[in-house]
Amino acid sequence: MAKRITIDPITRIEGHLRVDVQVDNGRVSDAWASCTMWRGIEKILEGRDPREAWLFTQRFCGVCTTVHAMASVRAVEDALKLEIPANAQYIRNLVLINHGLHDHIVHFYHLSALDWVDVLQIPKADPAKTSSLAESLSPWTRNSRNEMKAAQDKVKAVAASGQLGIFANGYWGHPAMHLSPEVNLLAFSHYLQALEYQRKSNQVVGMLGGKTPHIQNLTVGGVSNAINLDSQAVLGMERLEQMKVLMDEVATFVQQVYLPDACAISAMYADWFGIGSGVKNYLAVPELPIDARATQFDLPGGYIPGGDVSSVRAFHSHADDQFRQSVLEDVTHSYYAGKTRLHPWKGETVPEYTDWQADKKYTWVKAPRFENKPAQVGPLAQVLVGYAQGHPLTRKWTDAALDRISTVAGRKIGVAQLHSTMGRHAARAIRACMLAELGQKHWQLLVDNIAKGDLSIHNPPSFPSGTIQGVGTHEAPRGTLSHWVVVDGGKIKNYQAVVPSTWNASPRDIAGAHGPYEASLLDSPIANPELPLEVLRTIHSFDPCMACACHTFDPTGKQIAKVKVL
Amino acid sequence: MKQVLIAGIGNVLLGDDGVGPYVARLLSSSYSFEPGVEVEDLGTPALDLIDHITGLDALILIDSVDDGLPGGTITLYSKDDIVRHGPPVRMDPHSPALTESLLAAEFVGTAPKEVLLIGISGSRYDAGCQLSAPVQAAVAQVVDHVLIELDRLDLSYEPAQNKQSEIWWDDAPVASLAVS
Repeated sequence: MAKRITIDPITRIEGHLRVDVQVDNGRVSDAWASCTMWRGIEKILEGRDPREAWLFTQRFCGVCTTVHAMASVRAVEDALKLEIPANAQYIRNLVLINHGLHDHIVHFYHLSALDWVDVLQIPKADPAKTSSLAESLSPWTRNSRNEMKAAQDKVKAVAASGQLGIFANGYWGHPAMHLSPEVNLLAFSHYLQALEYQRKSNQVVGMLGGKTPHIQNLTVGGVSNAINLDSQAVLGMERLEQMKVLMDEVATFVQQVYLPDACAISAMYADWFGIGSGVKNYLAVPELPIDARATQFDLPGGYIPGGDVSSVRAFHSHADDQFRQSVLEDVTHSYYAGKTRLHPWKGETVPEYTDWQADKKYTWVKAPRFENKPAQVGPLAQVLVGYAQGHPLTRKWTDAALDRISTVAGRKIGVAQLHSTMGRHAARAIRACMLAELGQKHWQLLVDNIAKGDLSIHNPPSFPSGTIQGVGTHEAPRGTLSHWVVVDGGKIKNYQAVVPSTWNASPRDIAGAHGPYEASLLDSPIANPELPLEVLRTIHSFDPCMACACHTFDPTGKQIAKVKVL
Repeated sequence: MKQVLIAGIGNVLLGDDGVGPYVARLLSSSYSFEPGVEVEDLGTPALDLIDHITGLDALILIDSVDDGLPGGTITLYSKDDIVRHGPPVRMDPHSPALTESLLAAEFVGTAPKEVLLIGISGSRYDAGCQLSAPVQAAVAQVVDHVLIELDRLDLSYEPAQNKQSEIWWDDAPVASLAVS
């Protein structure tokens, strides 16, 4: 018999992701993703000075601050056809890389690992066995028995007190959890260590950006980091060396801990390489330009239609016409009035709220479409797009990950299995390893360029009297981000942000095609409709980010997600 | 030297949710504090809040709250009040993370020794860069609560001379604080 489940985190402002699934005989037969709050924040930008837009856009969200700042300055620079100095590219890239590493580490260990790791099994683990297991997977130096014992003792103390604190409200003991106590302990000890290492990445962002979470060093035309190798007050060799030490430590953590953990855990849940694929059109924009004019990139972009990696089409620049001509936003099922499909430069944001109606309008999220089709964005898209193009760094880390996974799983897990819930986790770990390596490269590019005597950081913008338009793209931790700006007489006339979670959380479109979250849930198993852990696993694998718009604290604690079975 | 953070939290683009950052910046421009006392507009830090609160002696948070009271009402919350209900299970792992951040810091043993949340009930949270009239009217009193807490912690401060207000998002002229 069909059951409808609604998972809806309740807050005062009701501004969060809601998912409805229909379950037939233990499987999802249909799904709806919706966002329950109208943000409309872009309207705030109308009439403002385009040079200040990035200050506002990085307040869109608390987690993705840096990325909205970056896309915004790039959009205005694109409209002005303004190049930025090489130093500015490298400094921006180092901010993006370290922000991305921080974000991926936090996502895996602190935001999604506990979908798979059962904390309450940890007291049963043997720390010595856990340590041997860890040492068989990695040369990491902090896998000793004592390290494992210390992590276990923390959990035992919490469990004995009956106050689970941060671990209250988990789906502990759920039948879909099946790691051994030792693997649970191993992952958990690294959860604790990851708190230290994500912080190091954030420190690098802060050293370049002035502060986190909202950086201060951007400017349309470059960056505001004055460079003097001999100075301690501005960006000099001493600070660059401090950054390098932190980046090296994080690189070791990512390559010796995060990747082995993600591979081992995913291999132990290998059936999840066959669940959660959904939309197999993949979209990624090129990122990390390695020259001032942004003609070459260290992370490839492109589009893969229908999961067929052999038909990948590359995007060669930020200004790629395929990209800028092919994006439309559809509002057939979104709470907006006006034309069904519009290009972002012509985009409208006129609210037309109705109730949640399964076959009509049901979300505040628009439905971005690429060549009229839904597209999945995120680390998986980026890794597949790079792999399909034979990009050496992508191949190196993807092959290394698939080898590890196949060894632990005892069967071959290949690129074809990455179209899945676990594939998204594996791809994020692969991307983190690539970012860690590229961080070291871009640090060297910056130091070498400064050593040549180039201290330039900024090309001043000047605005023409007529109308200009631009797009700023950024391959963010959650995927393709694009800001579309129209400037008239030096003032912003229209501003639209097409964010990664809009691509992935998009509703159906005029053709009835599901968005990526929705499609990924179809046919998923559901062991217990009251505790729909499987839905959370697949949705979390995308690393959704829609909710940090409003931070109002709710002292009544009613933020707890409501699961309603109809 | 005591390590103390006065942090304003909230989204400055969503009406009264911006009251925390607003007050933090107003404090920064109106007072000088003894070494070790930092004032920060943290915007919407989600779990990054853990990094900012690690190892503090005292944390003073300024944030909008939803407690059903009229806009501009000020309520003080202790750490126990904040963590009482445990962390939420959520679809979206990035939702506001005050409770989680405090619990996570507590679990690893680095939580601030003292925590005070000065909560201001909001009356509107739609897109816009200005506070509602009742919340704006409460701002001076919020500042007083911060100073009272600093007094209680035996920390010193004095009115600052000629500091520029940095509330860049607010188009309306920022009311200067009558400091004494």
